[in-house]
Amino acid sequence: MIERIRREIETIEESANRLKVLAEDNPAIRRNAEIISTFTYLLKFITQVHPAGNGEGGKMIDEVTQVRTVCRSCHGGCGVIAHVKDNTVIKVEGDPDSPISHGTLCSKGLAVTQLVYHPDRITHPMKKTETGWQRITWDEALDTIADKFKRVIAEYGPESIVIGQGTGRDYESHLYRFANMLGTPNVLTAGHMCYVSRVASTLITCGTLPVADYNGNPKLIVLWGANPLWTNPDEYKAELFWNAFAKGAKLIVIDPRKGFTAEKADLWLQIRPGTDAALALGFHHVIIEEELYDKEFVANHVHGWDAFKDRVKEYPLERVQEITWIDKNLIRRAARMYATTKPAAIHWGVPTEQTNNCVNYTRTATGLMAITGNLDAPGGNALFVNPPTRTVAEFAQHKSLSAEQQKKRLGGDQFKLGARVALINPKKAWDAILTEKPYPLKAGILCGTNPVVTRANAKEAYAALNKIEFLAVVDFFMTPTADLADIFLPSATWLETNHIADNWKRHGYVLARQKAVQVDECWQDHKIFMELGKRLGQQWWDTVDEALDYLLEPAGLTWEQFKEKGFLKGEMVYQKYKQRGFSTPTKKVELYSTILEKWGYDPLPKYVEVPESPISKPDVAEHYPYILDAGLRTPTYFHTANRAQPWLREIREYPIVEIHPETANKHAIKEGQWVYIESPRGKIKQRAKLNDGIDPRVIVAEHGWWYPEMKEEGHGWDVSNINLLTDNAFETLDPAMGSTNLRVCLCSIAPCNDA
Amino acid sequence: MSAVSLLINHKNCMGCHACEVACKQEHGLGVGPQLVRVMEKAPKFIPIYCHQCGNAPCQKACPVDAIVTNEMGIVLVIREKCIGCRVCVEACPFDAMQFDESVALAMMCDVCIHRLAVGKQTACMGVCPTQCISITGSKKSIASVFERAASSVVA
Repeated sequence: MIERIRREIETIEESANRLKVLAEDNPAIRRNAEIISTFTYLLKFITQVHPAGNGEGGKMIDEVTQVRTVCRSCHGGCGVIAHVKDNTVIKVEGDPDSPISHGTLCSKGLAVTQLVYHPDRITHPMKKTETGWQRITWDEALDTIADKFKRVIAEYGPESIVIGQGTGRDYESHLYRFANMLGTPNVLTAGHMCYVSRVASTLITCGTLPVADYNGNPKLIVLWGANPLWTNPDEYKAELFWNAFAKGAKLIVIDPRKGFTAEKADLWLQIRPGTDAALALGFHHVIIEEELYDKEFVANHVHGWDAFKDRVKEYPLERVQEITWIDKNLIRRAARMYATTKPAAIHWGVPTEQTNNCVNYTRTATGLMAITGNLDAPGGNALFVNPPTRTVAEFAQHKSLSAEQQKKRLGGDQFKLGARVALINPKKAWDAILTEKPYPLKAGILCGTNPVVTRANAKEAYAALNKIEFLAVVDFFMTPTADLADIFLPSATWLETNHIADNWKRHGYVLARQKAVQVDECWQDHKIFMELGKRLGQQWWDTVDEALDYLLEPAGLTWEQFKEKGFLKGEMVYQKYKQRGFSTPTKKVELYSTILEKWGYDPLPKYVEVPESPISKPDVAEHYPYILDAGLRTPTYFHTANRAQPWLREIREYPIVEIHPETANKHAIKEGQWVYIESPRGKIKQRAKLNDGIDPRVIVAEHGWWYPEMKEEGHGWDVSNINLLTDNAFETLDPAMGSTNLRVCLCSIAPCNDA
Repeated sequence: MSAVSLLINHKNCMGCHACEVACKQEHGLGVGPQLVRVMEKAPKFIPIYCHQCGNAPCQKACPVDAIVTNEMGIVLVIREKCIGCRVCVEACPFDAMQFDESVALAMMCDVCIHRLAVGKQTACMGVCPTQCISITGSKKSIASVFERAASSVVA
């Protein structure tokens, strides 16, 4: 009987494979064939024909169990109920009892079964050989990496090994612990320009990250370069924002593009991309001039007020209007509305960090929260209290990295704020590989990251990763970055993972992400670092769950008990500064930063012109007249992920570049047409969409594109990848943090007549 | 109008497409048929879905009576009867009738009747962060649909 079923499944599978080849030119049919492949894969599990099926041969079990877990298709942490039948997730639903998402779940989370059971997913370790990729055992894979690392350490020192991650799947604690115990200071993450950069900037300003307190009933919300309804919400969920807005909160939206929230807003400030720091200084100008600030707070809790006031005088509204393109009267109205509506919450987004003004903007905006009395106030920007679990920093043993090794951190002298949060800038890594200066990077392991597509100046990133002597990659699929690796380690998705989710965030919760299924030989990232670490003589726990017990110990819970509980919430106390001040050297909000001063940077925030703009580079603008907003984030994709999942790809099949109708007309570009976008660094193509909600001088393109369906090496990494156009030169980075200016450069456009 | 149908407040649709994927998952659909879908015309979004018309044009257009109003008052395609002629697709004033190329049959929203029967929301409703999807119909008609659905499941 089981033999017949097996033959039937194989016949269907063969037909699907043939269909995929035959329908090369028809994406809809091809993708349906992929779905059939997924179903046959599922059938193999259910019938125990697949080696990963763990039941007894031929025994059919009908029972569906429900596993309560937590999503990780973005940074979200939304509650999920996974329906599991015979070690297979057959469906996921939002968990109505989740304290932070209340049953809502986005398209990325809902499509997870198409990730877990994707026919192209790699579910066993592999090594690259002269004849191509070859399946190997975990032992061989880990031994190969450990041997290589040992040889590099002996010959060059541990600093010649780079450890990298992308946006992270909640394994920061384990990855950093591995790096620190290895002795390398060179950890390459997205954090230099995403989230960690805002944590670092606020750490030196007010002690920790202020987060919009939606549950505290804000009367005004400022969405500053953020669209929580569409993309990665970090601490915040779309539903939280929406509920606060629906209760009647006023809304100010600062966005170069007229989106859904701009349409709903009381005030929409259509900003020139990259000039947020100037606008924030303009807000201060109005608030100081009209004496709308909280005088008691400023007198008692702000350090360097007079010096800051003098700096703000340099930004009269006429100048701010000229820089930001926003009418000065509108700026005044917005600043007044923010300063006089209490409480008011600022929700900032990642574009404010991905500029040369990352620290300037973040510190200035923190200043707005502070001087209006909204900092750590209910409904303002709260400094949430996390539950008493061990922190990522403590688990990671940052202190165990010797001072001698810390000194060797690439770019550590240059980007001291980045070094403070244990990060390096990618260009430093690429240079060390390509020029071997100040010393060579010889080997690396990259986990859940696709820098060939996500980092600025992709050509250089590609060249560097192509050159590095040895590279191991941890991922789900063969990506453009994985193509360049020597060893591929198959990672587990969030449905195959036990972890204390969100333990690095600052919203006051940790949540139980529990494993629903095991898929083939995939390991969760945490286990990979543990087992590799043990081979290099590091101290780890025997099992993943024991490490979780250690993380939970201060809360008085074991992993088994925490799983039952589902989540922990920190006990929130507002306005903690009244008792103990802020966690800065002066115990005050340091608008004048004593730390930046000590390090030799400007202690006061300012606006520095975008490195490549019609103002800073008029000669470049002659050939590349438009300002490129390099990377609209869209709801169905998370950076470079999800493009292989048919349900998501169907919604957004191609990368879209938005062009104002006037501009399109000037270049004879029609709706839906492929368009070349070119900068001094490269040329790519995306499909035109006309949008009169952007400035005619601005072009808005999508970020994160590669083509999983292109099976040749590289997977089309250089076709539509916006980061072939962005710049990573040192003079374009944030001077203290090393944040890449990933969002704004100059470009030209032209219709593409050959495709 | 039939007894019950989806109602999407398009003013609050922000184009996240979660409803589309929730629907595909619930109905096990591949690429092609979209029983609910959202068109983007930034900054506006236009949800397209079956309105369960009274005197439904699709029903009238069908040459083989494959589209029926069932005992709960819900308009449905009977797949066994459908001949795949696509006349209903042409007839739908909302562009909501779908055609599943892989089986060459017409498809439409069934208001997740199997979920309503056990007291759950439709698959698309619960996931919407702006709560802009609801079920329309008088309280009485919705209740009676629930009851009838429940009894039909029990039976």
